[in-house]
Amino acid sequence: MNERSVVGKPLPRIDGKAKLTGRAKYTTDIVLPGMLHAKLLRSPLPHAKIRSIDTSKAEKLPGVVAVITGKDTWGIRYGFVDTPNYPAEERPIAEDKVRFIGETVAAVAAIDPDTAEDALDLIEVDYDPLPPIFDPVEAMKDGAPQIHGEITRTTSCAWEDWGVARKSHSYTPENNVAARALVTYGDIEKGFAEADYIREDHSRSPGTSHMAMEPHTMVASWDPFEEKLDVWMNHMAYELKRYWLHKTLNIPITKIRIHKTYIGGAFGGKAPCFDYEVICGFLSRKLCKPIRIELTREEVFSSCRNSHRFDIDVKTGVKKDGTIVAQHVKVIVDAGAYKCSAPVAMFLSHAMCDCCLDRKNVRHEGVAVYTNKNFNFARRGHGAPQMRLAADCQYDQICEDLGLDPVEFLMKNLRKKGEVIPNGDRLDSFGLPDAIKKSAEAIGWKEKRGKQRDKNRGVGIGINGMFSGSGYWPFACTAIIRLNHDGTITLIEGDCEFGQGADTSYSQIAAEALGLNLEDVTLISSDSELCPMNYSNFLSGGLFVGGGAVYNAALDLRDKILKVASEVMRAKPEDIELKDKKAFLKSNPRRSYTFTEIQRYNIQKHAGDPLFGLGYKKAVPEIEFYPSLSKGTGRFTDAYGFTASTAEVEVDRETGRIKVLKIVVADDCGYEINPAAIQGQMVSQAVQGMGDALYEEIMDDEGRVLNPNLVDYEIPRAFDIPEIEVIDCSDFEPKGPWGGKEAGECARAAVISAIVNAVYDATGVRVMKIPITPERMFNALKAQEK
Amino acid sequence: MKDFEYFSATSLQEACSLISQYKDVGKILAGGQSLITLLRQKLISPTCLIDIKGLKELDYIEFDKKSGLRIGALTTHRAIEKSSLIQEKYNVLSEMEKSVASVQTRNWGTIGGNLCSADPIGDPAPSLIVLGAKLKLVSAKGERVVPLEDFFTDYFTTVIEPDEILAEIQLPPPAANTAVEYMKFATIEAGIKIVSTSVAVTVEAGTDVCKDAKIVMSAVAPIPLITKKAAEMLKGKKLTDDVIEEAAKMAASETDPTTDVHASAEYRKEIVKVLVKRATKKAFEKAKKA
Amino acid sequence: MNGAKKTINVKVNGESYELSIKPKMTLLQLLRNELGLTGTKQACMDNSCGACTVIVNKMAVKACSVLAMQVNGKEVTTVEGLASKDGKLSILQEAFLEHSAFQCGFCSPGKLMSSTAMLEEMEDPTEEDIRRDMEGNLCRCTGYVQYLAAIKSVVQKRKEGKR
Repeated sequence: MNERSVVGKPLPRIDGKAKLTGRAKYTTDIVLPGMLHAKLLRSPLPHAKIRSIDTSKAEKLPGVVAVITGKDTWGIRYGFVDTPNYPAEERPIAEDKVRFIGETVAAVAAIDPDTAEDALDLIEVDYDPLPPIFDPVEAMKDGAPQIHGEITRTTSCAWEDWGVARKSHSYTPENNVAARALVTYGDIEKGFAEADYIREDHSRSPGTSHMAMEPHTMVASWDPFEEKLDVWMNHMAYELKRYWLHKTLNIPITKIRIHKTYIGGAFGGKAPCFDYEVICGFLSRKLCKPIRIELTREEVFSSCRNSHRFDIDVKTGVKKDGTIVAQHVKVIVDAGAYKCSAPVAMFLSHAMCDCCLDRKNVRHEGVAVYTNKNFNFARRGHGAPQMRLAADCQYDQICEDLGLDPVEFLMKNLRKKGEVIPNGDRLDSFGLPDAIKKSAEAIGWKEKRGKQRDKNRGVGIGINGMFSGSGYWPFACTAIIRLNHDGTITLIEGDCEFGQGADTSYSQIAAEALGLNLEDVTLISSDSELCPMNYSNFLSGGLFVGGGAVYNAALDLRDKILKVASEVMRAKPEDIELKDKKAFLKSNPRRSYTFTEIQRYNIQKHAGDPLFGLGYKKAVPEIEFYPSLSKGTGRFTDAYGFTASTAEVEVDRETGRIKVLKIVVADDCGYEINPAAIQGQMVSQAVQGMGDALYEEIMDDEGRVLNPNLVDYEIPRAFDIPEIEVIDCSDFEPKGPWGGKEAGECARAAVISAIVNAVYDATGVRVMKIPITPERMFNALKAQEK
Repeated sequence: MKDFEYFSATSLQEACSLISQYKDVGKILAGGQSLITLLRQKLISPTCLIDIKGLKELDYIEFDKKSGLRIGALTTHRAIEKSSLIQEKYNVLSEMEKSVASVQTRNWGTIGGNLCSADPIGDPAPSLIVLGAKLKLVSAKGERVVPLEDFFTDYFTTVIEPDEILAEIQLPPPAANTAVEYMKFATIEAGIKIVSTSVAVTVEAGTDVCKDAKIVMSAVAPIPLITKKAAEMLKGKKLTDDVIEEAAKMAASETDPTTDVHASAEYRKEIVKVLVKRATKKAFEKAKKA
Repeated sequence: MNGAKKTINVKVNGESYELSIKPKMTLLQLLRNELGLTGTKQACMDNSCGACTVIVNKMAVKACSVLAMQVNGKEVTTVEGLASKDGKLSILQEAFLEHSAFQCGFCSPGKLMSSTAMLEEMEDPTEEDIRRDMEGNLCRCTGYVQYLAAIKSVVQKRKEGKR
C-alpha cells in the first residue's frame, strides 16, 4: 500500500470549530422572520374512536393562528415500508381513531410556543374508548381487539417509483399481524437430526430510546409565489424526507428544499417520516408562514420512534465438538400502533447475522404484531442487537453445557473470507477471526474465563456483522468535485452530518486522491437543492456508498487532471504525480505545473471546459429491484463490517448491581479513514451497548410511557464509563473507498452480548432479558439460591 | 409556563411582608432547581413568585463550639460541599452533597430550597436529621424553630405555613465518639436513588459498645423515614456482624416503600438491608476511631 | 399585572444589555431568543442533561433552570464567549478539537462551559473530580472517553506550563 498522507490520519474534524464555538446551526437554532410555532395535541388513550373534536375555544385564544385536525389531513398516508403487499398506514393526524397514547389528534399554530400549548388545553376531544391490546402474543390470538381495519392505498410510495410493481392492493391485517417473514436454507430437519445436542432458549430485548441530544425539530417555510417549501429538519438522508413531504403534501419534489443543518445525533431515530414533519409542512403551506415545531423530550420518548421490542426463541443443534448444524429462530417484533420498519427489523435480524457464523441449516420465522403502543424504528443495528443477544448468549450456554470454550466455539463456526453466503453476498473482507482473537487476548480470556467466580467477576464475548448500506431503497449516491481557480477543490455531496464525521471523512477521501490537504477542500453537503442524489446515510451506508461516490468523483477528477497535464507536460499520465496542488513528473519533480495552470490550459484549449469530477456509487450494483424482505432472498449488501467485543464485569451479589470493569471492541471497518472518528464510533457503541445491557428500557403501563424523561430513563454518564479498549482489526475492503466500509452500528450488538455473557461467567446465572438491572440480577441470583 | 408576577426581595423582612401579602397565590423562589421544572410542566402555577435567591443575609456557614453549626437557608449545595469548616466538622454533609444532582444544580440550588421542596428522594434530609438539625422558620409575625425530623408531613409537603420562610438550618456541635455515614444506591452511579440512608453511631469510648444510634432512610416512604426500632436494636450492644444484620432487617421491616420505574417495593426493602448493614458497619468503625 | 415585563441589566460575554422581559423567561430563552446566542442548547427541558450549561459569575449553571430575572446584575458567559473575537480558540476548545471530543456537537457547548468553570475553580482536578464535575453533562455520541481525555490533557498542559 502506498504511503497515504490524508486518509488514515486522525485529523481534527472540519466541523469542529463551528461546533465548539456555538456557531454550528442545528435545526433548533433556525429562526425565520414571522415564524409561528406549532404544538401537537396527543391522545391520552391507547385505543379509542374519536367521536368529535371541538376546536372553537382554542381558535378564539388570542395569538392562535390555526388549529387543524384529522379532517384537514384526511387520507394522507405514509410509512417506512410502503410496498404493494404492505401499503402505508401512518397518518399525520388521527382521523376517526387513535391507536396509542401520544398519537397526534390536533395541531395548533400560534405566535409563540406557550400560546400554542395553552390552546391545546382548550381543544375538546370526545373519545369513545375501545379495548386496547398491549402484548403482541395476546394481540395475535383470536378475538383480540383489532387495531387496524382495512388498509387502503391513498398515497403512492417511493418504492413503486423505483421499480416495484405498481399494482397493489388494500388489505386487512388478520390477528393484528403487520407482516411476516420466513427465510430458510438448507434442510433444518436433517440438520437437527444430525445434531448431538439441541438447546432452546428465549430472550427479550426491550424498547429503548435513541436519545439523540437534539430533540426532533422542523422548520418549514412555504413561499406562495414560487410555490416552494424550504425546510430545515432533523433527518438522516434528505432524499427520503423530501420524498415523503413531496408525496404527503403533493408538492413537486424539486419544489422542496431541505437545507443543511447539523443534526444533534440520530442513531436511526431520525430517519423515518414523522407526523410533526407532515403537519409542519402542511401548516406552513396553509398559512403561508414559516412554522416551527420542536418536540419536547417527553414527546420524543412517547411519540417518536423507539427501538423494537423483540421476543426471540432460538433452537440450535450442534455436534459434540461445537459445530453448529441447524438453527431455528422465531422472532416476534412488537411493532406498536403502526408497522413503520417492523417488517424490515424482523428480516434484518436474520440478514445481518448470517454473515458471521455458518449455521448450515436455517429457518428464520418472523412476525411483526400491532399493539396499542407507540411504534418503533431502527436503532443502531436495526434488529441485529436483539438477535445477537439471543444467539450469542445461547452459544455461550451451549459451550457451558458441553464444556467447550466460547472463543474456540466461535472460531470453529466462523464463515471464511471470500465465502459466498446463502443469499449470494461474498465476504471479500472478513476481519472477524482477527477481531475475536484480539478481543479475547485483550480481556485476558485464557487467564480469566471461568476462573473468577469466587471474586464475582467474569468475562464474556459477543460478535456482530453489519451491512455497509443495502439494496433497499436505491442506496445510491452521486458526488461532484469542482477544481477551483486556486487549485483547491469544492466537494459537493449529499450526506448529512449527524455526528458520525461524514463531512470530515469524505473530505479526506477526496483530498487523498488528488494529493491535496484537508484544508484544500471546501465542502457543500446535505442540501437537497445544491447536492446531487443521495441515499446512503442510514443502514451504515454512509462511508461505503456516499464516501464511495466521493472516492469515484475524486478519481474521475484525478484522471482528467492527469490527462490535461500529460498534454501540457508531454508525458504519459502514469509518469505524473499530483501533490500540493501541482502535477509533476515522477522522474523529475521540478518539472511541474500547478493545478491553476492546468485548469487555465484546459479552458483555453478545450472549449472552456473547467475540470469537474463526477462519481457515483450504488450499494449493491447487481441489485436492480428490491430483494424480498419476506423471503430473505437476493443480495443484501456489498460489504459487511464486523466486530468482536469482550467485557469484564463484577457483580455485587448482595444488591445485584453489576459494574463493568472493561470493554474491548475489536472492529473491522475495512480501513480507518479517520482513526479518531473510528475510535469515537467504537467508544460510543461500547457505552450505548453497556446502557442497553444494564440500564435502558422504555417502560409502560397500559401503553403509557412511565419514564419519558432523562431523570427516569437513565443512560450512562461520565461516572459510569469503564476502561474501554478499541482494537483496529480492519481487513481491506476492495470495493470500499480506500478500503473502508461500515463502522457506526456493528459494535453495539457485540458489546451487549459480551456484557450479558460476562455476567453469566461471574455468577453462573443466565439472564437473557435485558437490561439486567440490579433488581433483575438480584432476583435471578435469589432464584439460583433456591 | 404560565405568566406570573415577580418580586425580587431585597431583605428577609421584605420577603416576609411580600409572602404574607401573597401567601395564597405566591411561591418563594430560591435557586429554583426544582421549582422551575414544576412551573414548566404546569404542575404548579402560582400567580406570583417572590425571589429570595439574592438575599445575602441568608447565605452563610457559621460554627460555634457551644451552639454548633448554622447554615443560612440560601447557602448553595456547592458552598456546603466545598466548605472546609464542614469538611472538618461535619464531613458527612460534604460527602453527601457530592451526590446531590449535578454540579450545575449544586452551584445554583440552595439547601433551604432543597428541604422545602420535600422530595422524598432528596439527599440532604437523612444526614441532617441524624445530625439533629433544626430549622428556623420566619414570618412577618415572628419565628419558630422546628426539628427537621418533624418538618416533613407527606410527599412534597412540610409543616411550613404559606407565609413562612425557612431561614436557617441549625446543627448541634458534633457529638463525641460518633460517626455518621451516608450511602445511596442507584442503578447508574449518579442515578435516581433507589434507597439512601444515613446512619449515626456513637460508641462508648474505647469499647465496641454502641451507646447511641440513629438511622434515617430516604426513598422508602413519603418522607425521610427514621427507623427507630432498628436503631434501638443497636443501642447498648457490641456491634457484631450479627447484631448489625438483625438491625438492618428490622430497618427494612420499618420501611413502607412503593414500586416505581426504578425499583419494586420488595427490592427496595432488600436494598435497605444491605445499605443499613454497610453504612452501620462503616459508621461503627469510624466512631471507634473518632 | 401578571406577566408584566420587567427590566434587567446583564452582562453577556462582556457586552452589557438592558432588556425588558417577561418574568417567566428563563435564562436559556433570554440567550437563545432575545440575544440570538443559539450556541447554548435546549435538549431536555427538565434540568437533567446539561446541554444548556452557561457560566454565571464564574459558576456553571443550567440556563433552563434559572429565571432570566435572577441574573439581573450578573455576568454570563456562553460558549460564544470562550474564543477570542479574532478567532483564537480557548485552550479547552483546542483540546476538544485535537481529541475529537465531540461528534454531533449538540452537547459540546454545555460540556465546554462545565469544564471551563471546573478548571477555573480547580487547579489540579483528579480523574474523580473531573468525572464528578462533568456528571451533569449527558452525551449520547461520544461515550465520554475522548472528552474526558481532552480535559485531562489541559490539566496536564497547565502543570507542565507551571514547571
